Amino acid sequence: MTRISAKYLAQRLIISYLTILVIMTLLFVLLHSMPGSFIQTMQSPDMTGEQIERLKEQWGLNEPLWKQYVDFMVNYQTGEFGWSPHWNVPVWNLIERRLPRTVILFGATTITGFMIGPLVGMYLGWWRGTKRDRSIFTGGLIAYSLPSFWIAWLFIWLFSFELDLLPAKYMRTQFPQEVYGTGFEWTAMMAMRDVLWHLALPLLSLTAIGWVGSMLIMRTVMQNVTEQDYVFLARAKGLSERKVMIKHAARNALIPVATGAIVGIAFILDGAVVIENVFNYPGMGNLILDSVLNNDHPTTQAVFFMLAVLLVICRIIQDIAYTYLDPRIKFGEEES
Amino acid sequence: MPLLEFEDLSIRYRTDGPDVKASEDVNFEVDYGKTFGLVGESGCGKTTLGKSILQLLDDNGYVESGHIWYDDVLPEWKTDTGKVRPEVVEDDRYPVRDDGMMDLTALDSDDIRRVRWNNISLIPQSSMNALNPVYRVGDQIVEAIRVHEPETPEDEAHERARDLLEQVGIERERADDYAHQFSGGMKQRAIIAMAMACNPDMVIADEPTTALDVIIQDRVLDAIREMQDQFDVSMLIISHDISVMAETCDRLGVMYGGRLMESGTTKEVIENPANPYTMGLQNSFPTVEESQERLLAIPGTPPTLTEPADECRFAERCPFATNVCMNDHPPMYDAEAASDGRSRVQQEADVGHRSACYRLDVLEEMRERAKEEETWQQTETPSSS
Repeated sequence: MTRISAKYLAQRLIISYLTILVIMTLLFVLLHSMPGSFIQTMQSPDMTGEQIERLKEQWGLNEPLWKQYVDFMVNYQTGEFGWSPHWNVPVWNLIERRLPRTVILFGATTITGFMIGPLVGMYLGWWRGTKRDRSIFTGGLIAYSLPSFWIAWLFIWLFSFELDLLPAKYMRTQFPQEVYGTGFEWTAMMAMRDVLWHLALPLLSLTAIGWVGSMLIMRTVMQNVTEQDYVFLARAKGLSERKVMIKHAARNALIPVATGAIVGIAFILDGAVVIENVFNYPGMGNLILDSVLNNDHPTTQAVFFMLAVLLVICRIIQDIAYTYLDPRIKFGEEES
Repeated sequence: MPLLEFEDLSIRYRTDGPDVKASEDVNFEVDYGKTFGLVGESGCGKTTLGKSILQLLDDNGYVESGHIWYDDVLPEWKTDTGKVRPEVVEDDRYPVRDDGMMDLTALDSDDIRRVRWNNISLIPQSSMNALNPVYRVGDQIVEAIRVHEPETPEDEAHERARDLLEQVGIERERADDYAHQFSGGMKQRAIIAMAMACNPDMVIADEPTTALDVIIQDRVLDAIREMQDQFDVSMLIISHDISVMAETCDRLGVMYGGRLMESGTTKEVIENPANPYTMGLQNSFPTVEESQERLLAIPGTPPTLTEPADECRFAERCPFATNVCMNDHPPMYDAEAASDGRSRVQQEADVGHRSACYRLDVLEEMRERAKEEETWQQTETPSSS
């Protein structure tokens, strides 16, 4: 039984759309308030004033600001993301290739983080005050206060240089013919394994921090939930401790964790962007840095836009998940 | 015939300081098919006693000494004809007494789990919040059935859950609702229905009506009585509300500061109280006949239960206390004998009308003076100085 009505979903979609419009406006303002003009990178000292004017004309920079804004809004909504001056290809071609890679890394981190965090939090909250609780809790807090790129360097040093177990960069084996011999061809299976193998370290670095947030919430809420009357009753009913903990206590404690996840997921995406650069993982995060450093405004703008859209989509999914977690929440259903 | 027998039960709570003596040498019995009521102010140890029956004390609570005897044993300790196997009675490793009663405090966690709800179920304090908000009410009843009778098919358990709800006056379809769709009284009745799910011998009801308004209270009490008639269960009702108790209980036990002060039939305890504390408690509740009279409160507050003094627990607030009360907490005396003029006859077994008070020799005088307002005001001066 779903408690989400079509009406609510429609409302939710409209709000998301408006959110994206606001984000686009902010993006436009931010990029236009950056010092200098992005065509400066395309200029060379021997260019004549006329040539520079031509460049400006080409990139539409001579248009009045409002015209630029309207063009930007219209173009983006019709799927026209422009041309990248640095890579000299349509921006969409870049996004198209990079976005799925980031979604893989970000998705995998979200899944592992939100599996490990609540699970550990459940046990710690249930066995609160024990030695194990205190040591894992402290360990989690320490991990939580470390920057992800630093943990990533540590892992590279340990797993890559010292133990030589996992690759420290890229998303796939480069030049496989040199590694596996000439005439080597990728099969689907092998390609997948190769990607997972390369994913291991970035994923590990992100998860090492990503699990803590949901663990902290879960642990605290579990402590409260174990004092609830329904947990007492579940025990009085003769259920095993395990069942009381998982079915009655943890199930209720998950609701605030889902609330926390709405904020948490933005941080995970944040972390993914940074980590991609540490591992030279060719995703959106990597692209952001490259395009910013090269003053490639059209690409920068599009990458930020796509990440924002990704987050807005996550929010909608979370809202739906929320209604399944807590039957008391009704979205738009008429009270009978 | 007792179904449940408390024998010298003492319960402690561990704290950072000395242990809290939540109950001390409590003796009483709940007979088959009868309702026993435990009354007393908050913090006197009533709820602790109720929880201890099913080993549901908080983590820091433990039974220091005494037993809770229950007149049944685990199924594997019985013969095919349902009698207790002789070797179980004789072997000291089993917590079973000669008369075939089993000590609930001595069962391990797996065994007590099988007694919970199956033999003895419990309507918890504030059962308003006792339904899990994320599961359907019907499913929670089914869960109780299926834990103890795993062989019951799912749909049959669901039918039974709906039958039970119907019996407490909740429509069958409402089994598919969640707790937040129920009113307060409905939640309470749903818990009562749930308590009957496994056909228990006994139900413990901890403050079953406290959070409800008077009209709903009445309906809930009706539901309890109806279930009691139909399932023939014994009940232990825990409440501070003497008027509720007067309506529902066969016998009453009055608790104060972790001690049982008085016990007897409801009529005896309410009409002819034999303990100063019961008299004071009674003054503080309105009765129909004396509705216009001012209600009298017992001055002072209940004692803290960490390191209580040796004296009678009530001595500090008691208008009748004398030197004899200051040495020791009194044992249980036969109150009827005291009424007849034979002042103090010790009576440890829970029969007839008992009271723990040294002043039973002046019982009639106490009964007279307890009705007067100034009797209770007098005590305020010495205790507060």
